[in-house]
Amino acid sequence: MLLQLNNIFKWVHSGGQRFFLLKDINLEVEEGEFISVMGPSGSGKSTLLNVIGMLDTFDEGEYNFLDESVHSLKEKHRSNLYKQYIGFVFQSYHLLDELTVKENLEMPLIYKKIKGAERKARVADMLDRFNIVGKKDLFPAQLSGGQQQLVGVARALISNPKLILADEPTGNLNSKQGEEIMELFKQLNDEGVTIIQVTHSEKNAEYGSRTINLLDGRMV
Amino acid sequence: MFKNYLKIAWRNLIKNRIFSIANIMGLTCAFAVALLLTMTAMFELSFDQFHENKNSTYQVYLTNQTPRGAEVSTSNPVPLAKALKEEVPGIKQITRSLSEDALVTYKEKNLNLDAEYVDPEFFNLFTFAVINGNTNNPLPTKNSVSISEETALKTFGTTNVVGEILQIRIGSEEKPFTVASILENTPANSSMDFDIVIPFENHPEYESNKDVWNSQFLPVYLQLEEGVTTQQFEENTRAFANLHYAESIESDKRDGATPDVNGQYKQFHLMPITDMHFASFKAGKAEAPRTFPYIILGVALVIIFIVCANFINMNIALSEKRLKEIGMRKTLGAVKKQLFFQFWMESVIVFLIAIGLGLMVSNLLIDPFKTLFNTKATFAEVTQPGIIVLFAASIFVITLIAGGYPALLLSKLSTLRALKGKLDLGKNRLRNGLIVLQFVIAIILISGTLVLHGQIDFLRNKDLGYNKEQVVSIPLNGRKDSYAVLDLLRDELSQNSDILSVSGSDSNLGLGKDGSITSSAMGFEYKGRGVVTNALTVDYDYAKTLDIELKSGRMFNREFSTDSLSMVINESMAKQLGEEDPLSIRIPMDDSITYSVVGVVKDYNFQEVSRKIKPLTLFMNRNWDLYYAYVKIAPQNTAQSFDAIKNAWEKVEPQAEFLGSFLDENVDRTFKREKTMATIITSGSVLGIILSCLGLFAISMLVVAQRTKEIGVRKVVGASVSSVALLLTKDFLKLVGLAFFIATPIAWYFLNEWLQNYASHVSLSPLFFLGAGLTASLIAFITVGSRTVKAASANPVKSLRTE
Repeated sequence: MLLQLNNIFKWVHSGGQRFFLLKDINLEVEEGEFISVMGPSGSGKSTLLNVIGMLDTFDEGEYNFLDESVHSLKEKHRSNLYKQYIGFVFQSYHLLDELTVKENLEMPLIYKKIKGAERKARVADMLDRFNIVGKKDLFPAQLSGGQQQLVGVARALISNPKLILADEPTGNLNSKQGEEIMELFKQLNDEGVTIIQVTHSEKNAEYGSRTINLLDGRMV
Repeated sequence: MFKNYLKIAWRNLIKNRIFSIANIMGLTCAFAVALLLTMTAMFELSFDQFHENKNSTYQVYLTNQTPRGAEVSTSNPVPLAKALKEEVPGIKQITRSLSEDALVTYKEKNLNLDAEYVDPEFFNLFTFAVINGNTNNPLPTKNSVSISEETALKTFGTTNVVGEILQIRIGSEEKPFTVASILENTPANSSMDFDIVIPFENHPEYESNKDVWNSQFLPVYLQLEEGVTTQQFEENTRAFANLHYAESIESDKRDGATPDVNGQYKQFHLMPITDMHFASFKAGKAEAPRTFPYIILGVALVIIFIVCANFINMNIALSEKRLKEIGMRKTLGAVKKQLFFQFWMESVIVFLIAIGLGLMVSNLLIDPFKTLFNTKATFAEVTQPGIIVLFAASIFVITLIAGGYPALLLSKLSTLRALKGKLDLGKNRLRNGLIVLQFVIAIILISGTLVLHGQIDFLRNKDLGYNKEQVVSIPLNGRKDSYAVLDLLRDELSQNSDILSVSGSDSNLGLGKDGSITSSAMGFEYKGRGVVTNALTVDYDYAKTLDIELKSGRMFNREFSTDSLSMVINESMAKQLGEEDPLSIRIPMDDSITYSVVGVVKDYNFQEVSRKIKPLTLFMNRNWDLYYAYVKIAPQNTAQSFDAIKNAWEKVEPQAEFLGSFLDENVDRTFKREKTMATIITSGSVLGIILSCLGLFAISMLVVAQRTKEIGVRKVVGASVSSVALLLTKDFLKLVGLAFFIATPIAWYFLNEWLQNYASHVSLSPLFFLGAGLTASLIAFITVGSRTVKAASANPVKSLRTE
């Protein structure tokens, strides 16, 4: 088992009332799964993903990740945990504009304190694997949306995560670019990477092995 | 990791070009100027610090309780030094030291040198290194002298001159002296500045005043024994003072003086020699306020503060653009410490660049700076290890605050909020606070500038009671008898119709090119009261030459043969004497001589303009030497007349340098300190306002950028360009207005304190402050307005589309 959510609640106070963002979420994810999270706007998809990615906290419930109970960890340990096992892919790519493709890929490795020589080797591998060797010295602004997302995925993968969290990875792409990225995810999943994606598109959801539907913070 | 930080720091600098340039330029200017100012201040503070015995060496001064209150005198009688050493315990060594000019002759060369008449202990008290000759005892005999390296080169062309003979004019005769030692030139930061040191026994006044206690004209310095405090010295000298000054104490008592808290009429005090440069005497006590260097340091600090405030503000504002980066870095595993370090390092890089450039700029500016601010400071003042460590430490702290504060704010943000790009910085309270502070400083500096210049103009244009535009004063630095010189000058110039009259006196008006200010005072008894007056010896035509108004009676006149027993007094003196008809006053000076008042002149500023006009008595006695000639010229052809005077002088005194100058130049020269201060404050305020505006400009740019959408929406619903521009500008002007209300009372308080130093001063009108406030607002308005008007007139469709 990769992770397990038990009775997760998350709420905000609005006008003296509790407004639930997540309500009694129970979820078990096995290694090698490809899960699609679907639901209308405001149903809590992104919040769920952020909670799983430890970017956001929750108010009640238990969260175990690889037998560590996340809810009782300190921020530093949490950060170590996701640094090691989780890679993020965002709708708007979130590449650093001031860094070249190569440098963007290298950054997670720097924070993991990996030595220069190994960093170079792994960046070269990744560039090779995604066929973007020729673009390694370009800045994000010089790439198309699809290419930027490709770099985004490559960056998420470079530290060999067990889990990739993707928040509408194709939301800013045209259908052809989107299809390519989904194919890539499929291929990665076949290689053994667990993937959880948030999506609006039925078609994209079909790439997954399981679909979770959310409505008003509740699994349906 | 480090390389990565450097890379991203560099690329960010390039990306935000305008801000980087504004920041680096501002910091560079500020560092360069602060460095130069600090250098000047350190130089001032280092005065007389080079003496090895500086902690136990003092100047002696005497506080006299007189009917007019407590007065301080640093002039002492000749026998004082020896008597103190013999009769008062606790004194290790003591020396007299009197600065005077000396005429020195070697072969054909005549030199007018600054001489210091001293006792041999002088060299034990003060540290003036010997480079050649007798090191342990630079003045072994009464007939030996020490000369400075520069003097040796000027006189002999070499410093290897121990044993050479010089002729020095002592009184009216020339005496031979042997050069016993060569001294290093006096350091620039020494209060004592001399070319030649002569044993005191050779002073022309020495023999006649050897045992005279009421002729007081020389400073005395002493070193206390280890463990003896100045307090003990003061107690130990009370009986001594009562004994040796008994006569003068008696007359003070009779005139109604009140003793001090210890019942003393005369009390000796000690002033550390390190205070000499700053000393002023108020109410019977020596004070050594280091106001001037501290003001300079203050201006330097304030300038650094202004740029640092800019830096913090720009950094915070710019960091909003970098939220995404921070969020991303956090999701990739960066922890707070790493982010903080990264942002701090970016600040350090900017600071290091600015410091490097600042050093270069200050190096380029040092020469003009030295002339402008009239200082002899060098980089040596600030390259002492202590200061460098302090400097490095302060850079560390400044970057930590300036770079670290925004870094801390940003690194603390939660990952999600950062990723969403929303920054909630608590309503910009810090930013506004810093802007207000900057403008408080700017307004204080501007009003300081206005008042300082107002006061200088006031002093310069004040009617001093004599004609300063048309009169040239010439120091009589030659060897001929002064009256003979005056007569020769009259002869030479009599054919020139532009020369109106020639006269002379024994002290100058203002500060001449010879750089000396003298004054002499005397006291006598009049109808059972003690009277003190300044005394001035003048030649015929004195009032005519200087256009001094005669109130009653007459001036000295060639037709009266008895005028050497006449005196002319000023109004203050007449008031002091209190006679209804001043012309009836007869004053017996000695048993046999009685002076009579023949005229009263209107009060004129015979001393520095900042002082009150004191009682003055003019004498005319051809046996008393004159030291300055005055030549009045016609208002036209002044340049030719000046040349004519110079030519005449060169004929009359071919060996002596012509040092003549117009009196208005002389008067101006006495404001040297005020002028230097005005230059420093003015440049400080100009720089301060420029830097503040630089910051304001950058902030307004960012604010406008942040509010682009709001501006678009407002315009779409029908707002006019002017209303939008006003809306954006208003916020900033409010801050300047607030700054004005904070700054004005502070500025008023300090300027009022400062103006109290002047007997007559410009009135502190509210216009000065309004002027400063308006200047600041206007400049701020132009700075911010240029951005806001541009933003307000942009097409709203464009600004909305970018969202």
